[in-house]
Amino acid sequence: MGNKQQAGTAKKVGIPALFIILAILPPFFLSQYWLHVMIISLFYVMMASSWNLIAGFTGQVSFAHAAFSGIGAYASGMVAVNLGVPPWLGILIGTGVAALLGLGLGYLCIRMGGIYLSLTTLGFSEILRIIITNEDKWTRGTMGLQVPGFFSEYSKANYYYLFLVVTIFLLIVIYWIVHSEMGLTFRAVLNDELAASSSGINTIRVRILAFTISSAMAGLAGGLYGHYLMLITPDIPSLGQMFLVLAMAVIGGMGSFIGPIVGSFVLETLSEYIRIYGEYHVLLFGLVALAMARFAPEGLMGIVGKKWRKEWVH
Amino acid sequence: MGALIEGKGLTKSFGGLTALKGVDFHLDEGEIIGLIGPNGAGKTTLFNLVSGVFHPDSGKLYFNSKNITILKPFEICRLGIARTFQIVRPFLKMSCFENTLVGIIGRNDKNGGKEERKDEVRTLLKFVGLGNREQTLAKDLTLIEKKRLEMARALATKPKVLLLDEVLAGLNPSEILQALELIEVIRTQLKMTVFWIEHVMGAIMKASDRIIVLDQGEKIKEGKAEEIVSDLKVIEAYLGESDA
Ligand SMILES: Nc1ncnc2c1ncn2[C@@H]1O[C@H](COP(=O)(O)OP(=O)(O)O)[C@@H](O)[C@H]1O
Ligand SMILES: [Mg+2]
Repeated sequence: MGNKQQAGTAKKVGIPALFIILAILPPFFLSQYWLHVMIISLFYVMMASSWNLIAGFTGQVSFAHAAFSGIGAYASGMVAVNLGVPPWLGILIGTGVAALLGLGLGYLCIRMGGIYLSLTTLGFSEILRIIITNEDKWTRGTMGLQVPGFFSEYSKANYYYLFLVVTIFLLIVIYWIVHSEMGLTFRAVLNDELAASSSGINTIRVRILAFTISSAMAGLAGGLYGHYLMLITPDIPSLGQMFLVLAMAVIGGMGSFIGPIVGSFVLETLSEYIRIYGEYHVLLFGLVALAMARFAPEGLMGIVGKKWRKEWVH
Repeated sequence: MGALIEGKGLTKSFGGLTALKGVDFHLDEGEIIGLIGPNGAGKTTLFNLVSGVFHPDSGKLYFNSKNITILKPFEICRLGIARTFQIVRPFLKMSCFENTLVGIIGRNDKNGGKEERKDEVRTLLKFVGLGNREQTLAKDLTLIEKKRLEMARALATKPKVLLLDEVLAGLNPSEILQALELIEVIRTQLKMTVFWIEHVMGAIMKASDRIIVLDQGEKIKEGKAEEIVSDLKVIEAYLGESDA
């Protein structure tokens, strides 16, 4: 028994450790272009994994996830531009603002549940986009808001490591949540809301909590993204972005821990190849995601290895 | 001293159909009360009102003299009323261990640390006879095991009152005996009040202190088992659907 347990622990620690070591290498051999693709992929890993936390683990399909990344990006960008707040502090403020607005939106619309949540979050995204586009005195509208970067000397390798560290941090938090008692209540709500409520779980609170945490994570990802691009545009909180994140989670495998990670790298890399034929990749991915949702609801991870998936979360 | 649970004039309609019509009832502490009646009589609906799944159109519900008529299911559960479902609803994609742990987490007094909660879950699973099923997903259980799991989950909330909706259905005679022993232990050792719905007449008559009979949404009779058995009106109500 001891041996088996040790082997299990070795696997649990060993595999992620191996990945982390491998993850340190890219700046040593990748071109600047592919390093950029990796950085963007890491941004999507944060987005898709945190969206998975609400959609995959509590069953709430929110369309406001890109909007919350935009809130994080603009909040951080605006305090940097107007008040000279350094980016590292700015992204924390952005995360906080996204959390607060997530809490507010969650409080208002989660009671409605199901399709109403999806519709309200869709509406929220649109309203946010309109505000950002029109309030160009603050946001510079479609021109984009120029913001400072993290490092005085621009280096893609530095950004790569920064994104890597924050992504790993977020993934650890998500893994911890999913395996905690809080995560258990998330899954209970997803499995059967009435049974969960009848077992003493305040299901509305659980769902608002999941929504708030997830929104805060999107805000953090968005803040980082903005200071990497150094130009924040309404594309960040756009619905196109939202559907890309959704497709990454669905195609990778919703409700699994690794699914959205794999989906993000695969789709972001693929879009680099497809992009030369025009901006049809989101549409294409959307269609693939629809087909997956219908025929392979557990996504790539469900197809590749049921067993492997099970060891992380069952 | 008042009743532990008291319902007054409970009425509930679904569209044009009145499932419950002005039902009065009460449960005293420590009792085992059976609820019987033909299919569609409104038994499950009464459980749904008591557990907060639905709210009555009119009438009032009290628990320890506190008005609980419009509380939500989780609030009622936390006050000390837990239930099982006639059509079982375990958390299918979660293990037996996790299913039961949810009941503890929901509690106001989830005393102690993680380890103590683990021990508590194991004790409960053993108690309902699922000791060797800890890591099995609920969807892989047999129907009878699912019912036991619901019982463990309900007990994990440490209720004062346990509502059991047809837990004996589908059991063979020896399993019924086991289940009856379990219910007796729940009353004597865990000091819970049991309110249960059953179609297995022999069992419910033998194990209940008091029987309430519903027919077409109305309480038509209430009393000790012997009185009920001898009451013709009740037998009539049953004749309509007997030899099923
Ligand atoms: N959620 C519901 N929606 C519509 N009708 C319902 C619902 N629940 C129960 N009913 C109806 O109310 C009546 C009583 O049902 P129920 O309480 O389940 O009966 P019992 O448990 O005694 O067999 C039935 O006619 C049933 O069809
Ligand atoms: Mg019933």
